[in-house]
Amino acid sequence: METGSAEVILSIRGVSKSFPGVKALDNVSIDIARGMVHGIVGENGAGKSTLMKILSGVYQKDSGTVIFDGRQIEHVTPHQSMQSGLAIIYQELNLVNTMSVGENIFLGRFKEMKGMRGTHAAARKLLESIASKVSTTRLVSELSMSEKQMVEIAKALSFKSKLIIMDEPSSSLTAEEMVELVKIIRHLKTQGISIIYISHKLDEIFEFCDVVSVMRDGRVIDTKPKTEFSRSELITKMVGRTIENEYPPRPQAVGEVLMEVRSINTQKLHDVSFTLREGEILGFVGLVGSGRTEIVRALFGADRVKGHQVMISGKPVNIRNPKGAKDAGLGFIPEDRKLEGLVLPFSVESNISMASIDRFSRFGFIRKSLEKGIGARQVAALDIRTPSTRVPVGNLSGGNQQKCIVGRWLEISPRIFIMDEPTRGIDVGAKYEIYSLMKKIAENGGSIILISSELPEVLNMSNRVLTIFEGRITGEFDPQSTPTDTIMAAALGLAPGLAGGAT
Amino acid sequence: MNTLGIGASLFRLATKQKAFIAILVMLVIMVFSGTEFYTAYNLLDMLNSTSILLILAFGVTLTIISGGCDLSIGGILVVSGILAIKLMDYMALSWAIFLAVLFGAVVGAINGFLVVHQRTEPFIITLGTGFLLTGVAQQLTNAHPVPAKNPAFMMIGNGTVHGIPNLVIITVVLFVLFFWLMRYTQFGRNLYAIGGDYEVALYSGINVIRTKWLAFVISGAAAGLAGVLLSAKLNTGSSIYGELTALVVNCGVVVGGTSFAGGIGGIPQSALGLLVFGMLDNVMNMLTITSYIQVLLKGAVIVAIIWLDCFGQKRRRETV
Amino acid sequence: MNTQVINRAIKGTGSVLREYLVLVMIAVLAAITAIVEPKFVSGANLVNIMRQFGPLIMVSLGMTFVILGNFIDLSVAGTINLVAVVTISLIQPFGQIPALLMGLTLGALCGALNSVVILTSGALTQAEALFLTFGMSTVYSAIALLYSGGTTMHFWDITKSKSVFEAIGSGSIGPISISFVIFLVLLAALWIFQSQTKEGRAIRLTGGNKTAARLAGVRIKRSIVVIYTIGGFMAGVGAIVLFSRITTAAPVIGAGYETNAILSVVVGGTTLKGGKGSVLRTVMGVLLIILMSNCLDLLGVSTYLQVAVKGAILVFAIWLDNRKQV
Repeated sequence: METGSAEVILSIRGVSKSFPGVKALDNVSIDIARGMVHGIVGENGAGKSTLMKILSGVYQKDSGTVIFDGRQIEHVTPHQSMQSGLAIIYQELNLVNTMSVGENIFLGRFKEMKGMRGTHAAARKLLESIASKVSTTRLVSELSMSEKQMVEIAKALSFKSKLIIMDEPSSSLTAEEMVELVKIIRHLKTQGISIIYISHKLDEIFEFCDVVSVMRDGRVIDTKPKTEFSRSELITKMVGRTIENEYPPRPQAVGEVLMEVRSINTQKLHDVSFTLREGEILGFVGLVGSGRTEIVRALFGADRVKGHQVMISGKPVNIRNPKGAKDAGLGFIPEDRKLEGLVLPFSVESNISMASIDRFSRFGFIRKSLEKGIGARQVAALDIRTPSTRVPVGNLSGGNQQKCIVGRWLEISPRIFIMDEPTRGIDVGAKYEIYSLMKKIAENGGSIILISSELPEVLNMSNRVLTIFEGRITGEFDPQSTPTDTIMAAALGLAPGLAGGAT
Repeated sequence: MNTLGIGASLFRLATKQKAFIAILVMLVIMVFSGTEFYTAYNLLDMLNSTSILLILAFGVTLTIISGGCDLSIGGILVVSGILAIKLMDYMALSWAIFLAVLFGAVVGAINGFLVVHQRTEPFIITLGTGFLLTGVAQQLTNAHPVPAKNPAFMMIGNGTVHGIPNLVIITVVLFVLFFWLMRYTQFGRNLYAIGGDYEVALYSGINVIRTKWLAFVISGAAAGLAGVLLSAKLNTGSSIYGELTALVVNCGVVVGGTSFAGGIGGIPQSALGLLVFGMLDNVMNMLTITSYIQVLLKGAVIVAIIWLDCFGQKRRRETV
Repeated sequence: MNTQVINRAIKGTGSVLREYLVLVMIAVLAAITAIVEPKFVSGANLVNIMRQFGPLIMVSLGMTFVILGNFIDLSVAGTINLVAVVTISLIQPFGQIPALLMGLTLGALCGALNSVVILTSGALTQAEALFLTFGMSTVYSAIALLYSGGTTMHFWDITKSKSVFEAIGSGSIGPISISFVIFLVLLAALWIFQSQTKEGRAIRLTGGNKTAARLAGVRIKRSIVVIYTIGGFMAGVGAIVLFSRITTAAPVIGAGYETNAILSVVVGGTTLKGGKGSVLRTVMGVLLIILMSNCLDLLGVSTYLQVAVKGAILVFAIWLDNRKQV
């Protein structure tokens, strides 16, 4: 297809984008045809959101060209992007919760709309055009997810958008609400509006997308009309890769049941129960927002959750806060190391010794010599690259920062190590080091709960894998003997067996 | 089980409609008090006493809605009042008043610059500027109240029109003005957006920096005006009123339902909140509660209100 | 290449300068004052300066801990009021030392109560703590007013004998005042607590990053109680030193101490963002303020203008503190 042709509304050519340590997009090229619903599938980390954020102006691309509606796009702000007719509806939604529906649709354009009355009247019209009955004066905070999405769509329409990008719109919708959304998408199509639809849910992709692109590792693997794809082919392309020697061989000896968790119930989680064995690496597989982190936070006492039971070595333990968890032999590497894991202005030494204060103090007094020993020991053991243990930990690279947190917990040898995205934002070399570390921990009898959005990582490191979908455990698998597609299907909430069949 | 449920929802209601309930409780108590509370004279007097605080609250509301706060209003209040009185000796009354209000706006501009452009925490930096201005006020007056010599000035603060005090009229006019500003102008709606979600506002093309800065300028100007009116009412410029006022007004605004979280509340809510304090003062006087107990009650009310505000947010917040 | 080296040298000296800015300023200020007004270096003036290390430094030392934990305490004025009037009233019935001890306990209790109010409300930010402690200050002041009936109690009305309080107020060992000795003892104790103990470290971690500290097993709730209790206790110490000096206890004598204490802590270099700082720095902060007041006094500048200058310094110090972290 030629660029500038009336048939192509958006032409992405050779777009690349890197962040420190990771290449998010690698020479991506896609043509979006006018008036089509173009689906984009890919697992977590495939690069879909990065691409969308470049299109909408939140990020700037490193290279490549983007031509929208015949005009080249360079250095736009999100607002300019909206004004030019390219709208994006994020998974997290871009609405001001404390304001009304009408005002949100015309945020910043109050004067244009001639005040409150004009705003609400125009908003009413837009909502009616997509058959939404939401009252324009209600506060966004009171709406359901589905209603909020209607508002976002109305907002996109208010800019006379020609292309609307929907990022995982159905993740929080019920089946009935989904039906409504499909109707709207079809309606928008009849208006000549093109849609990019990003989703994991293959059912939806096959239902109403016309063309599908598969992304993986920052690249576009294939783009074809949906009729030319089979379901299994789609999953394979999403997930398949040649696995080189990226991972150390799995620890083999798995012992007795060490920990039993029963019935975690919260707003998000439903009757979550599982066991953990000695020397085992247990992987949690699921989409972003499926509840993996919530489970471990409830276990670790980071969130105040009651009503579940935890037994370690056969004895019940009552974990009410992280200190209690620590005393019970748990360790936790949180998802966001900068916000939740490190005190950035403090020294490497202080950050490493944070969990061991009891160990390097006598009668309430700190023994600096002992603390120094801890810092030096972990820096050596984990090969943490730092000019000295006294520099602020904020100066270190991501991988080395992560090692500091690992070292912090290694110092007190927890029996159960919870690792939430331990290799996020870390370069390949450091990743391997952390994998080897995990293996060593397991070989010494420690158990690890591993949460990772990188499917290969979880599948290759774990002895056993639990799939989690919408707050429930949907399956338990042996990654060595189960086909990846089956595990993936369970994580997507599909019934077992459907994934492998023909469309 | 039922009573527990009712109790819980009543408690939740209390955290949301604090001012309303407080006023209701007071109104009910006063019905049985056998005092002259329910006379036109008293009600007008109550409004009159609260007028200065109300004007301060209008300005502060802008900063709180947009996600900040302004604790320097007490300092601006005293200095502008003194300034007006001192300037009156050298120029026409209206010019003196104008310059005093302008002074408030300038201080607001500096506050705004420090908060928005330099990204300093508003509550601590405005505390600092307020403290600075209190010192300036003391210096200007040598800690003695400075009497005004212009009878017209005193009339502004104490005169009446058809029996309604000037201050009440001015306050009502300002109420309408600020209400219109917050509810019916782009500027006001932008403030709500910024306080509600800074990023969303930014992505919608709103000039967040300039809008937030203007909020501080207006807050300063309002405080300047309040200072002038206070001096007019007392017919002196004194440095003693600054210290507690800022904290009381900010608390009052929260009482009424404008939250420190930003994006929630408005002029009517803030007015209601300050009326709680104004009414509390009046009620306590009517019931001839000794002044020390009055102070105690006021302090207890402030703690209770802020505590409830934080507690109410706790529900929505995840644990740390 | 050369410009790079020069740039780095400038940046290096710049950051060293900022770290020790207070010391530099003290040195500069002292030098300037000595030149302009030779009376500065006289024995009498130096004794005068030492005497200034009284109530304010006590309160400021306590405030240091609160700020280290990334909180703030506006209740010291009320605490001082309350401790002063209560302690002085207890001398007759209980004796001097018991009254003193009870006063200190009261101060600590006021502080602990602050922390309970803050913790139960779920408030975790400095702004929320600011308003809550301000409210508590009003409550404490009101109780002080009620307790004392608004009257000022004079020390000499209570006891004519040689008293502990007289010693605190005006006694000295040689050229060094007893209150200065008390200050040194408390400073040593607090410094040891802050730098050498488990809890001191816990407080720093809480102030540095509450979330990370909590997830690493630090008991942040306990730290919050500790910092406010210390704050209250030291306010109590300040109250006792204060009324020992002026020999009267009025229920309003605490006014203004909170802002001056915050000023001393921030000027000294303990950051409002929490985690970094030291009681030693606060001492330097107080010293700077004292020297400045001393200098301005010698130059004949009015007290009120000095208040304005202090306010300007506070604003500047906060601004500078913010720039350091950003």
